[in-house]
Amino acid sequence: MHELSLATEIYRTCRATIDARGPGRLDSARVAIGELAAVEPELLVYAWEAVVSGGRDAAARLEVEWHPARQTCATCGEVKERAPGNWLRICPACGGPVQVAGGDELDVIDLSYTPDEEETAK
Amino acid sequence: MTQVDVRQRILADNAVAAATLRARFAAARTLVVNLISSPGSGKTTLLEATVRALGGRWRLGAIEGDIATDRDADRLRALGIPAHQILTGGSCHLDARQVGRALEEHDLGPLDVLFIENVGNLVCPTSYDLGEDFKIALLSVTEGEDKPFKYPSIFAKAAVTVVTKADLMPYVSFKLDEVRAQVTALRPGGTLLVTSATTGQGIAEWCALLEQRLAEKRGGGS
Repeated sequence: MHELSLATEIYRTCRATIDARGPGRLDSARVAIGELAAVEPELLVYAWEAVVSGGRDAAARLEVEWHPARQTCATCGEVKERAPGNWLRICPACGGPVQVAGGDELDVIDLSYTPDEEETAK
Repeated sequence: MTQVDVRQRILADNAVAAATLRARFAAARTLVVNLISSPGSGKTTLLEATVRALGGRWRLGAIEGDIATDRDADRLRALGIPAHQILTGGSCHLDARQVGRALEEHDLGPLDVLFIENVGNLVCPTSYDLGEDFKIALLSVTEGEDKPFKYPSIFAKAAVTVVTKADLMPYVSFKLDEVRAQVTALRPGGTLLVTSATTGQGIAEWCALLEQRLAEKRGGGS
């Protein structure tokens, strides 16, 4: 269950980003999670809710962008027919080596927040 | 509402802490090995066998990660090597900051090899760089031969897979050839060692591998 640690890091990053720009409330954050990152998106969202609950950002949403790994065989081209998570470095068709690209994403992409001055101007 | 591009690795803070550790280990010319496996596959037992084989010649030390109890560090201290126990209190993995704090609290002295024994778990420790030279994954024969494909991330990231408890192979249905094929598929060029701390099988090869990696690290300049 390291999703809780990851959610804590995501929130820390978001909070630091907002704090650097002045006081404000986090509305949503978008993260990129790769297929090879050993992270379960549903658990990450669940952990996120636990991390933000009770604070000023309790309503903040976490959006997870899922990034599959791309596997390419020099002979057969892109390896498409595989079960999710079944990523190998050997082509299931010809047994040749497969290049794996991407899928290790673990990034905060962007966030939306409401500055306190906008809040009071309403 | 204001949108801000963040574009930052989630584990950026861990990466910074790991880079600091890596520089420190390079300056100390210490080889650092991060041991990852499920609970009970024999990480501490492999370390005990390693200390018995190399302890007289090399300065070895260990950082032990567990949710509770000092038992692992106690077992290694009993063999005469410095060991520090990190209690994670429920967390399923070690991170680089914990390792950094452990080294601040407890000076293990100059070391040839530092072993970092992670919390028993085949998933979560995979994501956290601890500044190590390489990761090893342990797989005991009683766990079954399907584990590399079921937990692909760690077997792809580990430079070495160590099969443990090989002396039990006659009593369980464990297909070593399948493990070899799975590990090769996930990590072409990776090393697979077959060991038993009970009979001593493979321990010499394991120690030779450590010796080679240490020589490479020191030969490559510090």
